[in-house]
Amino acid sequence: MTLSTKRALLKGFLDMLPLCLAVIPWGILCGSLAIQNGFSAFETQAMSLLVFAGSAQLVAIELMAGNTPLLTILFTTFIISSRHFLYGLAVRHKVIDQPLRWRLPVSFVLTDELFAFSHHRKAYRNKTRLIYALSAGFSFYITWNLWTLIGIVAGSLLPDLTNLGLDFAIAATFIALVIPGIKNLATLATVVSAGVVATVLKSQGFELWLVAAALSAMTIGYLISRIQDKLEHN
Amino acid sequence: MMSTILLMACITFFTRYLFLHRDLPFKVGPKMQQFLSFSAPAVLTAIWVPIVFVTDEGINLDWQNPYLSAAIAAIIVAYKTHNIYYTTLVGMGLFLILN
Repeated sequence: MTLSTKRALLKGFLDMLPLCLAVIPWGILCGSLAIQNGFSAFETQAMSLLVFAGSAQLVAIELMAGNTPLLTILFTTFIISSRHFLYGLAVRHKVIDQPLRWRLPVSFVLTDELFAFSHHRKAYRNKTRLIYALSAGFSFYITWNLWTLIGIVAGSLLPDLTNLGLDFAIAATFIALVIPGIKNLATLATVVSAGVVATVLKSQGFELWLVAAALSAMTIGYLISRIQDKLEHN
Repeated sequence: MMSTILLMACITFFTRYLFLHRDLPFKVGPKMQQFLSFSAPAVLTAIWVPIVFVTDEGINLDWQNPYLSAAIAAIIVAYKTHNIYYTTLVGMGLFLILN
């Protein structure tokens, strides 16, 4: 293993570590909630190993426990997962020249958390960057499955950590990822409108709140940057 | 249940892989790329802001809301330090004290 490979592996792991820790409450909840709702330990772990999508898993567990029709469960999964289309589109130009043996594992671990580390201009573009991304992505995968396992084994002994307000950890890590990136008016407007629209839509129980908020905020950011480009050229 | 889990896995993987597939009948042009450059701040913010404000009862705009004070502290630390460890520690620390 070359030095740059080792460094990329370590950096990927360390950059993702705060997020791996921030999702402890959710990972444990995915394990314990499934067990409480009659899933076997095997099914519960398989869900985290194969589906690997926290919000979709939590919703699906409750739906499956309520004997919801299969199509409703799958449709809901699709709605919750639809934000990934946006991630794929946004990183497409960076990854698309890589062979399938890189693109497949990258897409498997392309979570909200990995996407947060994908904005660098050179992200995914060379081998070191790919190793960095896979190290970050799979360390998140491994820890997510570890938290699920803890939830399966000890869920009945632990309090619901998300009700203790530990869901704030996710907010804190995302704040740390978003705020330093606000370097111009367009991005500031994007962030403010994403927050307002998401809060309003989610509190109204609108199912597509996340994608709708993201798309409208991106539109506002895009329009402002276009107007600024035009003003500069005049 | 296992078959439902497998189908769900196919759906999440499909949504993640689709646009990393080479043979798609379109190209992302420069304008689309500029639009997409706002996707990370937009999505991540759309995830964290409702954690702060939305409760089962609706939108909580109360200044006593510990999520809000801790979020403001985290924003200040993130702005000043650009460091995810400091930001998370200060945000979580203040949150646990207030909560």
